[in-house]
Order: sequence, then C-alpha cells, then structure tokens
Amino acid sequence: MSQTAVRPNRAGALPTPVLFGAVGVVIAAVTLELVPRLGVVSAIYLPPTSTIARALVEQVQRPEFWLALRDTLVTWGIGLAIAVVAGIVAGVVIGTVPGLRAATASTIEFLRPIPSVALIPLAVLLYGSGIRATLMLVIYASFWQMLVQVLHGIVDVDPVARDTARSYRLSAAAQIRYLIWPTALPYVVTGIRLAASVALILTITGELIIGTPGLGRQIAVSMESNSVPPMYALVVVTGLLGLVANQLFRAIERQVLAWHPSQRRELSEAVSGL
Amino acid sequence: MRRQLAALLIATAMLAPAACGTTNQPNTPAPPGQPDKVNVGVIAILDVAPIYLGKSKGFFSKRNIDLTLTTAQGGAVIVPGVMGGQFQFGFSNVVSLLLAKEQNLPLKVVCNGNNSTGVDGTDFGSLMVKGDSPIKSASELNGKKVAINTLRNIAETVVRASIRKAGGDPKTVQFVEMPFPNMGAALQSGQVDAAFPVEPFQTAIRGQGGRSIASSWVDAAANLTVATYFTSQQLVSSNPDLVNRFTEAMKESLAYADAHPDEARQIITTYTTITADVVAKLTLPKWPADINRASIEALASQAMTDGLLKQQPDLAALLP
Amino acid sequence: MTAVLRRTALVLGLPVVLFVVWWFASAGSTDFYRPPLRRILAAFQETWIGERLVEDVAPSLVRLLVGYALAVVAGIVLGVAIGSTRWLRALLEPILEFLRATPPTVLVPVVMLLAGIGNEMKVIVIVSGAIWPVLLNTAEGVRSIDEVLSDTCRSYRIGGLARLRHLVLRSASPQIMTGARQALAIAIILMVISEMFAASNGLGFTVVQFQRSFQIAEMWSGVLLLGLIGVALSLAFRVVDRVVLRWYHGLRAVERQPR
Repeated sequence: MSQTAVRPNRAGALPTPVLFGAVGVVIAAVTLELVPRLGVVSAIYLPPTSTIARALVEQVQRPEFWLALRDTLVTWGIGLAIAVVAGIVAGVVIGTVPGLRAATASTIEFLRPIPSVALIPLAVLLYGSGIRATLMLVIYASFWQMLVQVLHGIVDVDPVARDTARSYRLSAAAQIRYLIWPTALPYVVTGIRLAASVALILTITGELIIGTPGLGRQIAVSMESNSVPPMYALVVVTGLLGLVANQLFRAIERQVLAWHPSQRRELSEAVSGL
Repeated sequence: MRRQLAALLIATAMLAPAACGTTNQPNTPAPPGQPDKVNVGVIAILDVAPIYLGKSKGFFSKRNIDLTLTTAQGGAVIVPGVMGGQFQFGFSNVVSLLLAKEQNLPLKVVCNGNNSTGVDGTDFGSLMVKGDSPIKSASELNGKKVAINTLRNIAETVVRASIRKAGGDPKTVQFVEMPFPNMGAALQSGQVDAAFPVEPFQTAIRGQGGRSIASSWVDAAANLTVATYFTSQQLVSSNPDLVNRFTEAMKESLAYADAHPDEARQIITTYTTITADVVAKLTLPKWPADINRASIEALASQAMTDGLLKQQPDLAALLP
Repeated sequence: MTAVLRRTALVLGLPVVLFVVWWFASAGSTDFYRPPLRRILAAFQETWIGERLVEDVAPSLVRLLVGYALAVVAGIVLGVAIGSTRWLRALLEPILEFLRATPPTVLVPVVMLLAGIGNEMKVIVIVSGAIWPVLLNTAEGVRSIDEVLSDTCRSYRIGGLARLRHLVLRSASPQIMTGARQALAIAIILMVISEMFAASNGLGFTVVQFQRSFQIAEMWSGVLLLGLIGVALSLAFRVVDRVVLRWYHGLRAVERQPR
C-alpha cells in the first residue's frame, strides 16, 4: 500500500482485451447450447443458445419490446440519478460534520441489509403499480450503495492535506470543494457504477413483481404464459443492459480520473484496469 | 452545534421512508358527463379473460366506466393497491380474501371472477405426476412432496382436499412452493412427487407425458368459485353507484365469456404471450355470472380444518 | 469509562431518537400496512422470542453463514486468479458482468432447475450474489500490489505458496475486507430472496408468508429482526476486521500522524 512506487507499463500487455472478452462470450454461448442439447437439463426449461437467439430476434421486432425497454431505461435512469445525488449529499454531510458519522453508523448498518422486496407492499400501497413504486425500491437500495462509497472516500482524505487546509482556515465550502471532493471523486465514480448495477436489478425486480411497465413486466408475463424462450431472451437483454452500462461507466471513470494526481495513481489504475 | 443539529435533522428526514401521508385517491365520483376512471389490478392469466373481453366489447364504456387493466404478479401487490386506492378493484383468489378478512382488512367482494369447470378430469388445474410415476391416486401421496405455487393459500387447501377425499392423510404431505414454470422440471427430475399446475402449465406438463391423478378444484367443492373481484370498503361507501355499474358490467362480461369460449381464447392471446395454437388446447375455467356461495363456505371450513384460518370467517360481510 | 459511555451513546443515540419519532408518528395510525410501532413490537415479542428462534432464524443464519463463507473463499480464490492473470480477466469479464446484472428473482428459478429445491439451492443463491464484491475487490487488490515488493519477492526467489500468503493476500487484504464487508449486506438480502422460493423454513420465508397472509405487524417485526441481525453481523465483522487488518490499521494510524 506504499504510495511511492511508480508503476511502469506492464510488459506483455494484452493488445486486445476486447478479443478475449469476445472469446469468453463465445465459450459461454457454446456451453449454453450444449448443456440442454446433451440433456443435462431439459431443453424445454433451459433452451439452447440458438433457440434463445431466435426468440430474441423475434422479440426485437415487436414494438412492445422497445416500449418496455424505454420504460426500463427511464425508471433506471431516474432512480439512479436520485439515489446518486441523495447519496452524495448525505455522504458529504455525514462525512464532514464531526460526530455525525459515528452517530449514524448503527442506523445505516440497520437499514442497509433490509431487502427492498420487503418494502414492496408499502411501495404499492403508496404508489400503486406505477413508476413511483418501483422507484422507491430502486432508490432505497442504490442509496445505501452510494452512501457507503462516498463515506469511504471522505474518510480517505490525506491527513496532511486536511491539516494544511485547516491551518489556512479554509471555509467548509472551500474544504469540500478543494480537499474532500477531489479525494472522494474516484470513490464517487466507482459508487455510481456499483449503484447503477443495483439500480438495474431493482428496476427489473420491481417491474416483475409490482407490474410497473418495463422489461421486468414482460418477463413476468412470459413466465405466466409459459413462454420460455422469450423469457430467456428478455433476461439476456437485461444482462446486456447491465454489461453495457458497466462498460460505459468504466469508460467515464477512465476519463474522469485521467487528470487525477499521482497520489491516487494506484486506485485509479486499479479502477480503470477493471 | 447548530450545524450538527441541522445535519441530524436532514439525516433523520432522509432515513424516514415515505413518512408523509398516503397519496390516497379520494375515490370520489367523476364529474357528471365524464366517465369514471377505473383501474383494476389483475394477473396475466386465463382467469381474467372475461374482463378483457368485456372491455373490448364495450360493456364497461357503455356504463360510463373508463377501464384500465394493470397486470401485477399477485395478491401481495393487488391487495395493497386496492387498499391504497391505486386500484379501484382487484382480482384475487378466495382464500387470500378470507385470510385478509381474518386480519380485518376492509375489503368487499363485488362479483365473481372464475370457477372450476366442475368436471372431474377436465379442469383448468389438476394434481399431476410425471408419466412413469408409480403414484396412481392422491391417497398415495402420504409422506411425499407436492409442489404448489403458493404455500398456505388456495392451492394447498384444494390439494389437501383431494388427498383427504382419496383417503390419504394430508398432514403427512410436504408442500413445496415453487413457481409454475419450474413444476414440470421438478416433476421430471423427481425433486417433487406431484404438483398442482394450472393452465397453461397443465397442458404443457401433459405434453411432456405428465398425467393428472386428481381434479383438486372439483374435490374441494362442487363448482368451486376460485377467484373473485373485490374492492375496498371505502369505495363501497363513497361511490356505491360505481361499484354497482362495475358489477353489472362484470356480470355481462362473465356471461359473454362463458358463452363465447372462442372469443375468450382469442383475447387471451392479446394480454398474455400464449400463442393461438397453444390456447386452443387449454381447458378454460368456467365463468358464471354469480358467485357460488356454498362452495366458498365449503372451502372456508376446509381451510379451518387445515389450520389455515383460525376462526369462522364472516362471509356475509365479505361477499356481496 | 466515559469513552465507553460516549461510544454507547453514539451507537444507540440516533436509533433511539428515530424509534421515539416512529412510535409517536405511528401511534394513531389506522393505515393497515403501517401499524403503530407498539403493535409491531408486540408482534415481535410474540413471534420471534421462543421456538421460532430455533426453527426459523437458526436455519436461516446457518445458510447465511455457510453461503457467506463460501462466497468469501471462492471470491478470494477466483479474485486472485483473475487479478493475477490478465487474459483470464479479459476472458471472463463480460460473462461475470452479465451474470451480475441478472436480478436474483429471475436467476433463482434457473438455479432451481440446476440445483434442486433444498438447502444447497439457497446457499448457491447466496453465493451467486455475495461473491461479486469479494471477487472484484480481490482482483483489484491483487492488481495493485506494490511493484517494489513484488520485485523484491522475485529477487529473493520467494514464490508459490509463500508468495501467495505473504505478498499477494497480505497486500490485498484491505481490499478483500472491503469486498467482504459489502458482500455481507448482499448475503443477507439474498438469504431473504432465496427463501421466497421452495422454502419451508427460515426468517425470509416467514416474513414472506406473513406478507402473503396479511399479518402486517408480524411482517414488519420480521423486517426489524433482519435489520438487527444486519447490525449484529456488521459489529462482528468490525471485530474480525480489526484483528485481521491490525497491521493495516496501525500503518494508516502512523501515516495519519502529523509529521
């Protein structure tokens, strides 16, 4: 954990990690094709890749699919945005006001592990089965993810820098802007990435159980109609959404952390490398 | 100190979820000349074909009801939706409603939902085993595992009735909860010895060689009312006219669906993803316009015997 | 003495305040799904104190701890493998991210197809979700091993198991503990979700059954218990963390001293 080492470019760095990724996907697809065909699991319940691909092509041609996709993206986006902002604000407040962190620690630890699914009756009671009910689940779960990350970031402030800021009598706002925010930024960005995947999962879960319009509801209807290949096709779409979002946020992380001082080099390299 | 207090208050406010009051719809009648906006919570299954059919035939709009149908996964969502006023009416099986009434939820059944066909051997749900299973009757299920989609609810009650009727001991049976789509696989792999699927899963399992050993809807009571539409007491008292109009529209829809099964099958393909060729093979429920009260009484007493209900439910208060 | 008092006050302070606020805010509530706190506490006492503690809570906790332990071990093993080998990471990354993005409610029926309906299925569900933070953080920690240390190991020809133990795992342990911490909350949530399918006992199972039979006060009491378990486990984790990462905390404390 020493901060003095400068990391040179690794010899034998992979020229095309994307190629390897593609190979990995192909291997998984082939496995999924073979497992049902060889009878390990019945093909009726776990269709082979080719059947799922056909169902996917068919789904993509329906307008309901695109409407559902749009609904999911909207719910996901709004939920994530609110959770991120709330998480950052709460995190900065709790992290900087002395004593607040210790005071809220037990409450945070109490509320964190409560599954959003336990809140479903309350969400439906308040908001029916519209977007706001699912948003309640999404925001509840993603908020904790974000909050914990932001708190980590604020705690990590370099003590020398903090003492310097104090001896120069920087105001609270200036401290936040010049000292805390830059330190916390990598954590915040990672937090957004992690919160995004939690938010997606809860969006689909909410749509599935509550019936908010979206991909999750399409999955529920397929399940109830025993339409197995379309159901898996929709699940594949969900997974792809998560994958794409993850790659997108990683790219954003790399951009945001490009200027970051060498002090945080290890973290930025580790984060951008993953 | 002031800053800390402010921060504490902010933290409290953010950690108190939805502490503000319920956003309850007033459920007041629409202004004259305007149709009433009605949102009904249903599940995307065969049983609710009549309401979709009735909507498409205009039975609701001609009674000044602007009907919206919202699909949800089950009673755990529909009941709070009705309670909170987001849905004006909801669809639920009878046992769920009995359980709710026992907990003093202010609900009221308004009209019939769907019934068993009443024909042993040809019903929209049955107790099934896999093709080469040695089990020939429900009496052989003692000590075995039976898959149902929801524990301690209507499926368990009617399967216990089948076992009892065939001479077995339901207390020795182990019920396992699993979603319908998994039942076929669980039967095939021997994870469970029997299952209680409904359509379209019943036909799908038959297609893989499964066979029925009992018609549990029939065993529980003759011409059993399986599910009904319900509303909140609040709507009944604030807008009884709407409740009456909805009930009339539903009765017309139920009678129509019962008399025109082909149209019912066709409408099923619109709100589910069941294809036309599959839906042609499914056994449809029966859709009588009136609730079979005797069957509900019989079901309630069996639920009491099973220990599902603690006391005799007040059916007069629950049913219309 | 005062330090202990102060610590206790901090830990209990806000919860007590919120509790009191909740008590009074909900006292006159007629809303069915938000019963007065008094009723919830009464239900708590009736429901959980007694044999249900042994019948339901104990099996759940056992499954949780087994699943969590497996997730941590497997996460570390896979994380070390993936972190050390760049091509393996590139190969597996899309699939891992894909699986991570699948909601458990959808994944569990598929797991049920493959793993059956018993305790193994539930443990697998817990592992399938809780492994990710451990795995990803371990990989991250392994990747950011100090070059100087790793070169020193090479020049002293420290390889194999010794290198793994003293260099890799020790260096990555702060990251691993971070991952393990995140995995704990996820494991608890998945314990509940796994018991929504094909379960016959368990804390999550009981909470869901209460939800289904409209015993709402009992349901909230179960949620309360989940939160308490979460707090208890996180405190236990903090103790373990302090022991395992003694060297790290000491190092950070020294770094924090003004020079």
